[in-house]
Amino acid sequence: MTDSPTLTVDLRSDSLGLALRGALNLHTTPAILNRLAKLPLPLPGRISVDMGGVERMDDCGALVMIRLQRMAREHDSAITWQNIPEHVQEVARFLRLESLPETTRSTKTKPGFLARFGMKTLHVTDQAGNHVAFVGELTVGLFSLFRHPGRLRLGDTITYMQRVGVDALPIVGLISFLLGLIMAFMSAVQLQQFGANIYVASLVALAMVRELGPIMTAIIVAGRSGSAFAAEIGTMKVSEEVDALITMGFQPTMFLVAPKVIASFLVVPLLALYSNLFAIAGGLLIGVTTLNLTPHAYMLQTMNTLTIFDVNWGIFKSAIFAVLIAAIGCFKGYQVRGGAASVGQATTSAVVTSMFMIILVDSILAVILRYWRP
Amino acid sequence: MTSPVISVRGLTMGFGGQTLMENLDFDILGGEIFVILGGSGCGKSTLLKHLVGLHKPMSGSITIAGMRMDPGDTETFHRILACIGVMYQGGALFSSMTLGENVALPIAEYSDLDQGDIADLVRLKLRQVGLEGFEHHLPEELSGGMKKRAAIARALALNPGILFLDEPSAGLDPISSAELDALILRLNRTLGATFVVVTHELSSIFTIAGRVIMLDKKSKSIIAEGDPRVLRDTSPHPFVRQFFNRRPEMEA
Repeated sequence: MTDSPTLTVDLRSDSLGLALRGALNLHTTPAILNRLAKLPLPLPGRISVDMGGVERMDDCGALVMIRLQRMAREHDSAITWQNIPEHVQEVARFLRLESLPETTRSTKTKPGFLARFGMKTLHVTDQAGNHVAFVGELTVGLFSLFRHPGRLRLGDTITYMQRVGVDALPIVGLISFLLGLIMAFMSAVQLQQFGANIYVASLVALAMVRELGPIMTAIIVAGRSGSAFAAEIGTMKVSEEVDALITMGFQPTMFLVAPKVIASFLVVPLLALYSNLFAIAGGLLIGVTTLNLTPHAYMLQTMNTLTIFDVNWGIFKSAIFAVLIAAIGCFKGYQVRGGAASVGQATTSAVVTSMFMIILVDSILAVILRYWRP
Repeated sequence: MTSPVISVRGLTMGFGGQTLMENLDFDILGGEIFVILGGSGCGKSTLLKHLVGLHKPMSGSITIAGMRMDPGDTETFHRILACIGVMYQGGALFSSMTLGENVALPIAEYSDLDQGDIADLVRLKLRQVGLEGFEHHLPEELSGGMKKRAAIARALALNPGILFLDEPSAGLDPISSAELDALILRLNRTLGATFVVVTHELSSIFTIAGRVIMLDKKSKSIIAEGDPRVLRDTSPHPFVRQFFNRRPEMEA
């Protein structure tokens, strides 16, 4: 094998003689193409290429022939090939080199503004239809479960209760405890100026039980479980497992979505309660250590502040958030088309949409509450 | 071209304490089409994964192109990877990339060609497998057979000396399957590449295989090695004759 030199150039005023030798492959071709690109322009009217010395040529080496052909055409030169060995001819025939068109540059053009606007609109309306269909299917499914509770997949539901609830206990506890601690700490700085230390207990209790407890819990659940639901169903979609369920006569909503929604509905309010407890404990720690409050005084103030309605309201919101998170996670999973990248997008979208919906619904409920119980 | 490009010596493989095959010894010669056979679940695909270094053998050695396969030795491992191409059972095309991008990926990474030349080369690769014009399609838009052919085009991207194909014709219609066989034979002839193929398709075996080995689940060893046409008629092993004559076990 003579790998180099592989190209000799004989440039005259009226003709260009090229001779190729050795192996034309992935390693030698880039250098040859480079030398061809550096030939002085314009090219003479006649180009002759001697291929006699080519020992081996693969499809990458064929790029040299394609390039020469193209250069000759661009400069109106007549190209003649000499001494083409049989094996090169065979490769050329196999690759049908004579029919490679002028350019292989991408011909995809970006659609115009109107076209893109139209496509986006169609996509949005299509999506809206899917949303409605999914919500409808889920509602019908859940109502039919009320009539035939035996159809609920109990084992799955319990597994998801563990994954959504029990497994989240450490992280929810830690975050809530620290949140209560920080709130007490920050508010103490202000309230101390007025000698209103005791109201730290009220602030922590009310803020956590009414708002932050349910919201923090929901955000943690969205990040832990909403994403997991989307990834699980999305992957099942990619590997045709959802199709398999349908053709076996199962309703995917009943089989996949209902256990997740019901499990979340049951455990997320409990998680929120648990979160409240840890937040109050965090506040208590600060109250006792830096504000000279006795634990008894702190707890008494907490209990005087909270009404049973506050606690119920927090639980009620948590239940709504739970259903939202589970349903959105499952819906995004269903939207997966194609492969791995699409699963990733669905997972991200599930978390982002869940958080947005949590905040939106929370705001709406706050407004409703404002007019319902002024 | 009769020196072995792949030598397997005393290979024992399996998962988690359970052995699938014990003490395998065989050579794959340069430029041949070597077919690995065996019943379902006997470890053909696992053997393939050992040959390309994805799994570590429990004991024994694999030598490719004179280099000892050892995923721990990064430098040697990468030199081995440079001379092999693999087509996985399901194609394993990257779903977020178009076909053209899938094939262009290794070329752009390992060669000095510029964008325009890469586009030409990708086109030639796809032309070889009959998928010219599908450069801008995503894998999800293709049929199963087209995905397989695209996966072969990607395995061919760097013109490796050794190509591993895992069930290339499984799930294809007879015509596509025959076309794929013709493609393998032609690539073998024009590129001089060695092919290691795992397949069940009898017609495919008799068309392409130079030599086969047959793995047996029960004895955890190779029960036949050689030309399939000869084995079909003369193998002393009943399972081998059954396999090649496509008879169920009851008739044995």
